[in-house]
Amino acid sequence: MPDHEPMVADAVLGELRQPVPVSATFNARVMRAIQELPHRHGRVVPLPTRSSPRRIRIAFGAVAAGVLAMFALPSSPRAHARRVQFVLVAPRARNVKVVGDFNGWDTSHAAFHAKNRGGGVWSVTAPVPVGHHRYAFLVDDTVWVADPMAPRADEDFGTPNSALLVPDQE
Amino acid sequence: MRRALRSAAGLLFLPAAAASAQRPALGAAFDPATRAAIQSIVDSARADGLPADALVNKALEGAGKHAAGPRIVGAVRMLYGELAASREALGAASRRDEVTAGAQALHAGAATPDLHALRLAAGRRPLGMPLMVLTDLMSRGVPPETAAGIMDSLVRAGARDADLVAFQRNVRLDVDRGAAPAAAATTRVRGALAALRSH
Repeated sequence: MPDHEPMVADAVLGELRQPVPVSATFNARVMRAIQELPHRHGRVVPLPTRSSPRRIRIAFGAVAAGVLAMFALPSSPRAHARRVQFVLVAPRARNVKVVGDFNGWDTSHAAFHAKNRGGGVWSVTAPVPVGHHRYAFLVDDTVWVADPMAPRADEDFGTPNSALLVPDQE
Repeated sequence: MRRALRSAAGLLFLPAAAASAQRPALGAAFDPATRAAIQSIVDSARADGLPADALVNKALEGAGKHAAGPRIVGAVRMLYGELAASREALGAASRRDEVTAGAQALHAGAATPDLHALRLAAGRRPLGMPLMVLTDLMSRGVPPETAAGIMDSLVRAGARDADLVAFQRNVRLDVDRGAAPAAAATTRVRGALAALRSH
């Protein structure tokens, strides 16, 4: 944008902000015209008549549910999640799955099944709750592999794990 | 009125169902004795206010990796002790992810005074990432005392999570290329501290 355009815009806005002069009897004439309009009882605000009690009850129920939910549901850091990309280079693999704390170490979660992107690169992007997690790749449903790019975690059961920290804020 | 109540119930239980789906549960992957033993430990952890989800996840990991029941129970029991020690070292007000990451660090070889010192050095800074990198260093062969000293100096110097991620990546690459873990870590930390002081 050229430099002089803001000055032109300021000048136009300044002109528009000036009060518009009206005659001294303007307000009185407007109010008189409004009072002379015919009355239209029941048509000014089109409230539903026959179905309104039911709608009001449903609306009341919805609001009550919202209020109850606010107090009844526990607040949990797991409620927040961020999308995380997992990548493994495995040229000879037939399938690659990401398994960890975030999916209950359940290999059947389709959202964590990586796709072959070509050139031996497998990846999947999936929502992971905020917090500290351990995970691993399962290659061909038999071989557990730690993420070579991620920090290491424990390996209590004889196979390596990786660690992941999903922050609750950037 | 009945319809209103149904609407209310639907609105109430929809998010409740979604929330419960995110919480790990033991499920049917265990024999009765193993399940009972794990549940007992999990219940104790919940009563103590510890992050019991970590214990459930540990059990599920064992089941997913087809470990025997006694081995799973042993791992869960050990983690319970590490979670308690972690929280004691880091302080009762610590975040759940800090307590969990601290338990991992203890499991990898750190000592509780190391965690306590890290808390004192960090102040209000979240310790999830420092503890995760500490665990990684020890897992790659850096001696626990050396790794703890490195993390302490980085946290005291004001290292952010991004700085720690870069440090961990550099050490990992050095070790993968054949460097001795302790030499890689102590060399890289000198560069990281110099960079932090120059800011």
